Amino acid sequence: MADNERRTPIDQVKALYEDAETRTAEAVETLVRREGFGELLARVTENAMAMTQLAQGALDMTVRSLRVAGSQDIVRLGRQLNRTEDKLEMVLQEVERLQDELAAQRADVAALGGLFERSERSDGSSSQGLGKGSPSSSARRTGSASRQGGSSARGGSRQGSAGRGGSGSGSAGRRAANGGSSASGSSKSS
Amino acid sequence: MNVLEQLARTPRAAIEFSNILLTTKDAPIGQTPKDVVWSHRTTTLYRYRSSQRTHPVPVLLVFALINRPDIFDLTPGRSFVEFLLGEGFDVFLLDWGVPGDEDSDMGVDSYVCDALPWGIRETLRASGEEEVSLLGWCIGGTFCAMYGALEPEGPARNMVLLTTTVDTSVSNYLPWVGRDSFDVEAVTDAYPSVPGRLIDRMNKTMKPLNNFFVTYRQLFAGTLDGTAKREAYQPMAKWVANNPPFAGRVYREWITWMYKENRLVKGTLRLRDRRVDLRRIEQNLCVVTAGSDHITKRPETLPILDLVASEDVTHLDRPGGHIGLMAGSKAKDGIWPDIADWLRERSER
Repeated sequence: MADNERRTPIDQVKALYEDAETRTAEAVETLVRREGFGELLARVTENAMAMTQLAQGALDMTVRSLRVAGSQDIVRLGRQLNRTEDKLEMVLQEVERLQDELAAQRADVAALGGLFERSERSDGSSSQGLGKGSPSSSARRTGSASRQGGSSARGGSRQGSAGRGGSGSGSAGRRAANGGSSASGSSKSS
Repeated sequence: MNVLEQLARTPRAAIEFSNILLTTKDAPIGQTPKDVVWSHRTTTLYRYRSSQRTHPVPVLLVFALINRPDIFDLTPGRSFVEFLLGEGFDVFLLDWGVPGDEDSDMGVDSYVCDALPWGIRETLRASGEEEVSLLGWCIGGTFCAMYGALEPEGPARNMVLLTTTVDTSVSNYLPWVGRDSFDVEAVTDAYPSVPGRLIDRMNKTMKPLNNFFVTYRQLFAGTLDGTAKREAYQPMAKWVANNPPFAGRVYREWITWMYKENRLVKGTLRLRDRRVDLRRIEQNLCVVTAGSDHITKRPETLPILDLVASEDVTHLDRPGGHIGLMAGSKAKDGIWPDIADWLRERSER
């Protein structure tokens, strides 16, 4: 009561207006959520879209009849570029996967070389034996490396199965497992 | 202030008001330094620069297809990205870009089965980690949930879903776009990429008086009594007005599958011949809802809590609207620290 007495007529008008505004906003929100409004909106949208399509078609025909590339031609070119980019992405993913596989194999070979040198130093005869056996053991290691790679990239493969590029995604897991150099990522970004 | 004073101030306030509106497009937003990690078609993966990354598992931000992801990084001091960086996270952003008519072939599967997994893959490559935390907002959250359902054992360890649509049976949009008479094909036939302005107008029509009149009336009243904050109004207004188009196919699929048929919650959604079953989600899950959200009402999100197979599920319900929840003035001391705490506990090796 005391508050009301202290309020000026302008404040009271303001308060009345704001109250009316809030009520109107609520009423309008209720109105737009009604089925009838939805039906009206659907019809208006359909009409507007039909008119837009007619207008765009006519405009595009006019432009093309002047022997100038119309929007349809530009869109077609853009789509071709997109398809090329999709294919390039697939190739890039495959290259990355092969890079990772190569790096894993090189690491295996290096590890094997170190083992070979150590055994050679400790025992000449046994080193000879190891030397003979090295290609097959290298092959075995490579095989196991691929398997390891495959398993470490399980997450990636799963990703890949969704992304059509199981092989490509596999590289993510493998790269991460290998310590994750971001070199190729940055080269791509450049 | 008496009537005469108000009248005297009106011309000046009118000039100030029009200046605020006319220079809104110049307001700088999304200023935190970042680098491009990867790009494909319209999608770009960014990594924010930081010298204090303390949590190994990187955070990948995924925004909706409506509006731009700058809302994650509005202005210094009002930036969720800046906040996460300050908390020691390695922050990445998957930006869907601005599709043109030539991108009208992009469907839900293009985002969920290609762009998102590829973005995750590149995030892992750049960070050198094996796992990632996904933070999806609105449609971005729905895409993350779809991805999580398709790849339950994939590299996503944690998922934060902000105001995410899962069950549209109670949506405010249902009477508009869910009805049979709303011909979504007519829209995508007329517009291979549906203009963002059109979608924005539809969204605003949900609260017409507030969006088309009250906002401006309040701004004018603020300029009149000297309380209008240009630096608070302009960045948000600029973000709201930046509406990229919606690629035609994804628009058609989103409206048909999510609103007309409600496939996601029914478990009948299939992407590239794979069923998107939310019951397969096993990631640590944090679901955030906003009490006053009229775009994604709480009941549209909550069914996911009962569906998923995750053992670690958290639900955070906070006051605020669809956007105000994360970008409002209270977010910095409210929901942001809560999300950071949740992530921190789950981001160690």
